[in-house]
Amino acid sequence: MERIFWVECRQCHGKFYCDYTLRHAGLQLICPFCKERFLPDEATSIDERWRS
Amino acid sequence: MKTLRSFLDQLRALGPDELSTIDRPADPANFDVTAILEQLSLEKRYPGLLFCNPKDLHSQPSRFGLATNLFATRARCARALGLPPERDKMELSLAYAELERQTIPAVTIPAAEAPVREVVLTGDQADLAILPIVRHFEMDLGPVLTMATIMQDPDEGFYDLTFIKTFYKDQPRRAGLTIHSPHHLRILKKYEDRGQPAPVVNVLGHHPAFFLGSLALAPWGANDYDVIGAFLREPVRLTASETWGSDFLVPADAEILIEGVIPPGEKEICDPFGEVTRHYQAQGLKQAYDVTAITHRRDAVMQDVFSGHEEHWFLGSIPKEGSMFNSLQRQHGCVEAVHLPNSGAARFTAYISIRKDREGIAKRVATSALLESWQFNWAIVVDEDIDVFDEQEVLWAVYTNVDPSRDVDVLKNQYNIFYSAAGHQKVIIDATRPLDTVFPEKIRVPPAAMQRIKLSDFGL
Repeated sequence: MERIFWVECRQCHGKFYCDYTLRHAGLQLICPFCKERFLPDEATSIDERWRS
Repeated sequence: MKTLRSFLDQLRALGPDELSTIDRPADPANFDVTAILEQLSLEKRYPGLLFCNPKDLHSQPSRFGLATNLFATRARCARALGLPPERDKMELSLAYAELERQTIPAVTIPAAEAPVREVVLTGDQADLAILPIVRHFEMDLGPVLTMATIMQDPDEGFYDLTFIKTFYKDQPRRAGLTIHSPHHLRILKKYEDRGQPAPVVNVLGHHPAFFLGSLALAPWGANDYDVIGAFLREPVRLTASETWGSDFLVPADAEILIEGVIPPGEKEICDPFGEVTRHYQAQGLKQAYDVTAITHRRDAVMQDVFSGHEEHWFLGSIPKEGSMFNSLQRQHGCVEAVHLPNSGAARFTAYISIRKDREGIAKRVATSALLESWQFNWAIVVDEDIDVFDEQEVLWAVYTNVDPSRDVDVLKNQYNIFYSAAGHQKVIIDATRPLDTVFPEKIRVPPAAMQRIKLSDFGL
């Protein structure tokens, strides 16, 4: 399974997940609930636990 | 001539179980459409739906109608292919595989005679937000177009059609595309290597046989318009596109076409989107798409697929079952039937029944089956007396025949494109009765008694 990580939007606190290639790509994620754009490190929380 | 509207007329004549027309305004971008579809699905009701007054993405009454759920029963898919609706199981899949081997050459007509060129929108008028695009699930990034797209090989000139998703990006003429199809990706790479924009056309409405044909497993180099002709049982009528003229031909009888290009090297954030597996696809960076024109018939109807539900699954299972049966039968000669069940999203799992005459053959068949698609994770093989279209029977065979220490194998480090806990592993389950040991017999009422006794004679 391709690795993913969950983020919590810094504006609306909605949670969604992204392909791990976006984790350190320097690109802003887009919250599907409020359209806020933010870098992964700007998320209210990140869950990147992974069972390899 | 076969068009979306001719098929809707056919369904309408059959009654509301086949086509229900909804006059009340509905807002597809605010989940009105999928909330209706989900409730119907929970009630095991699968009518085609025609929304006559959907809103567009400006929250205004759309100029287009919206048709959905048209592929939601195998019987309706059979009807679309001109087959008896009661022959909706293996016979439908085999008929599909037969059509897949045929072609009917497309014909070209002048743009002035092409229905899809009745209205041509370019420049600022070519605004994606005039469409009643559906937002399907709560975590979806936004409204998504779910129908087929056309690309053309820049060297050989053949046309390739497949289903891909087009993400509305809150801009009139910029969208995102998520391409998974091997042939589309191969064509796109050619354009990218040359630093050229890749033309892509969205087909947002045509006869269902057109779309079923677009999913045929045609070899690289096949002109999909000719393949689709076999499914329509008449030539696909083509016409010049607005953007590229006769250099890129488009289906003349489509309801709506979006013409555009993938600009080389440009990407857009796309997803999440509620996928066929019933999980959301993770957000990622995908191809950008710049719209150059929208053309449509007068009073056009846009089509959508309710992803992660019956119609999405049948669009996968019907095209694959027949070709997989033929391939396995050529190799092994003992295959009775093949089914890709909805419980496996018609992508993960294959149920295969065989006439077993020796130990080990079931696993050989299962191994071959897993090579038929890189989407498969599970291959379950049963005896020929098990109906692979009846999941209860298949699971009964698993729970009663399988010795987990001997009959289950896991193949590791195999590729799969979808997210699931199985990941890049493949699982083989031999659920056939063992022949190398004594084993209990399946119960049955004597056939003679079944023949002799009629329910009606007993007031039942």
